[in-house]
Amino acid sequence: MKAPIQTDKLSKWYGNILGLSEVSLEVRPGITGLLGPNGAGKSTLMKILTGQLRPSLGRAFIWGEKIWNNFRLFNRIGYCPEHDSFYEQTTGWQFLTGLLRLFPFSSAEAAGRAERALATVELLPDKDRLIRGYSRGMRQRLKVAQALAHDPDLLILDEPLNGLDPLGKRRIIRLIKDLKNDNKTVLLSSHVLPEVEALTKDIILIHQGKILASGDIHELRDLIDSHPHIIALRCDRPRELAARLVREPFILKVHLGGQPDSLIVETDNRDRFFSLLPELVMDMGLAVDEITSPDDNLQAVFDYLVGK
Amino acid sequence: MTIREKGYHHWDGQFLERRHPWWPITRLGIRLTFKRKFFKFIFSSSLLPAVVFLAGIYISERLEDFRGMARVESLLLNISAKYFGAYLTADFLLFMAVIILVFCAAGLVADDLKHNTLQLYFARPLRKRDYLLGKASVVFFFLFLLTLVPGLLLVIFKLIFSGSFRLLRENPWLPLAVLAYSLLFTLFLTAYALLLSSLSRNGRAVSLLIFGVYLFSDMLFNILYGIFHSPYLGLLSMRTNLKLLAVPLFGLKPPLGLPWGYSAALLAAVVALAAVVLVKKVKGVSVIR
Repeated sequence: MKAPIQTDKLSKWYGNILGLSEVSLEVRPGITGLLGPNGAGKSTLMKILTGQLRPSLGRAFIWGEKIWNNFRLFNRIGYCPEHDSFYEQTTGWQFLTGLLRLFPFSSAEAAGRAERALATVELLPDKDRLIRGYSRGMRQRLKVAQALAHDPDLLILDEPLNGLDPLGKRRIIRLIKDLKNDNKTVLLSSHVLPEVEALTKDIILIHQGKILASGDIHELRDLIDSHPHIIALRCDRPRELAARLVREPFILKVHLGGQPDSLIVETDNRDRFFSLLPELVMDMGLAVDEITSPDDNLQAVFDYLVGK
Repeated sequence: MTIREKGYHHWDGQFLERRHPWWPITRLGIRLTFKRKFFKFIFSSSLLPAVVFLAGIYISERLEDFRGMARVESLLLNISAKYFGAYLTADFLLFMAVIILVFCAAGLVADDLKHNTLQLYFARPLRKRDYLLGKASVVFFFLFLLTLVPGLLLVIFKLIFSGSFRLLRENPWLPLAVLAYSLLFTLFLTAYALLLSSLSRNGRAVSLLIFGVYLFSDMLFNILYGIFHSPYLGLLSMRTNLKLLAVPLFGLKPPLGLPWGYSAALLAAVVALAAVVLVKKVKGVSVIR
């Protein structure tokens, strides 16, 4: 089975500047987060995938079809650009119906779809206002609406949560999660890691035009051997537990934390640690209040791989 | 390893295609132009020459009624193809066409560049040629209303007022000449306006350019002609070049005695240049380096 998006050694240069370097990836159905700092190549990749940039080298396919100059493909793709792209002197309704008319929809169907899309992003009451009067959050929601309005199977969303207030963010996150349930493929970029973490565990990490990693956040974390796993515990006798743990070869460091009941353990084998821990708790009669993995998250994966 | 849900099934459907994907762009352009302040007034004023020439046709058929009222111009005594050529090459008509370009064409590409809307267009099932055709059709719509439609209506009214087909018997190619000149005139001005519109993100600057280049070409010609007296300097003037295009079609006397072929070649070169620049400038992404 082919993944909806496939690229093969995709490279893009802007003159002497490298935008993408030999990017080979597959994006499966569901939500995939494209992560990277500013200038990493996220937008370049998205613009190649939406047929707006031609790769300098390599190939990119959507549903097995080449992208460049394949305009029919865009019947099934929705794209939300990073920056505003509006005719300020039109209303939200005119903007959306105008774009929908570029698809093979009748005017009645375009109107129906525009209404549904505006309702989805909760902009229906403001549909007849000029876009120039829209707030930043409303503009962002309108951009998302235009990407959704033709009911595409693949959505490419470039920083879709930019400029939204917390409530607006929650709405859009919920909306994007619903798309996953509708069996759609969503590729979204962001440099705000908690936002992506709230949406998906499948990520593609891009930095300086290269793919550093792709896959499940936790799997990726497990594969990073150069950085031991950090596990924080809160229990009634941390010193005793620390003394017991240092005997194990897979325990690299044990710190007694700032709190009298806290303990921080560094291990290069998380699975063995978590196999041992219940035994120790039972044998020693410990009362454990909390176990957390502060570096088993997107931020840590990102920091380790980007080399911060 | 996590177990992935493989919800995707290969899609075997057909991609639908809009029959005229350029039309929504044209319609939006026309609608936005009519929304501009003063445009309706300007556009109505530009049809005044058509009314005057229509009155001329009417008078030519009722010479006996008007003989006592005014000294009748010889052109009116015998309306021929030249009369229609005179309408289409009238200085006022070109001036108004340029003014209309300022309203309808200046922002066509410039506004899309300014508002980054090209990326939305090209993320839809739309080719570059559809986009350009959509934009060009906006200009075609207004300029045809100024040239082709009144030109053909004048021919029809002449036939109605005279009650005979003598005009068409003597000039069987006349409707085609009106069509051909309107087409060439509109094609050149469309290419000219879209070329300038693609050179800037500022619609106002493009408006000034559209009017300024037209005016400057004529001023430059007049100044240099006053100094050097060479008729070939007429090739510098947009007005003279467009008039020369009408020479073979309506049997008009060439201004300055210039061969019309030179003007045709020059205007074709401008159209070709505009096509090259537009294809290069119109793209979904403006690369930030």
